[in-house]
Amino acid sequence: MIMIRAIVRPEKTNEVMQSLLEAGYPAMTKMEVAGRGKQRGLKLGQVIYDELPKEMIMLVVPEREKEFALRAIMESARTGNGNFGDGKVFVSPVEESYTVSTGIKE
Amino acid sequence: MKEVMAIIRANKINQTKKALVDAGLPSFTANRCMGRGNRPVDFEMLEALKNETEDSADVLPSLSQGARLIPKRLLSMVVPPEQVSRVVQLLMEVNRTGTQGDGKIFVMPVTEVYRVRTREEGLSAIDEMAG
Repeated sequence: MIMIRAIVRPEKTNEVMQSLLEAGYPAMTKMEVAGRGKQRGLKLGQVIYDELPKEMIMLVVPEREKEFALRAIMESARTGNGNFGDGKVFVSPVEESYTVSTGIKE
Repeated sequence: MKEVMAIIRANKINQTKKALVDAGLPSFTANRCMGRGNRPVDFEMLEALKNETEDSADVLPSLSQGARLIPKRLLSMVVPPEQVSRVVQLLMEVNRTGTQGDGKIFVMPVTEVYRVRTREEGLSAIDEMAG
């Protein structure tokens, strides 16, 4: 199994969640995060904003469905035009996964 | 080292913390998060609950309805590999109510650990008794 952590624009979260639901991934967790990218944040006039609000969407999927799930996220999170700040997606291995209510290891 | 990441009910956090301290595993990081589970919408059950106001307060939060998100707590801790099964068992015992929405536990590999204060690395950096 793999964990996909996607850091996306807050205004795009609902779209990403909907597209994940339609792709058959209802289970996910999201949280609010703040961060900056390689552009070192945003500079508006004299003010530099280097903690831009984002949302992190986390889900664990079987490894063979990686590409499919990634495509669902990428296509919905993108604003088009190659804008900076659309976010990042990280994939990391998960060795074991348990459901608390049943105690079943998947 | 392994990272144990548990997504649990928000109201179970205090019990979980206490159980972890009692088991000698006091260090963790917690986060508020929102999530939805695998269960599809069960509208019949929702309707039934509306008529039965007594139990609905307990059961309603455990019903995940499509895109509606439920507040959860994300708890993550890095432990030595031989402790993983103990931590997982403990977390499951404390957080199990038997209904859906109790949460998930994921175990992930961690390659390096450092303690910032002493620059220790590896297992001694997460040894609670040392340092």
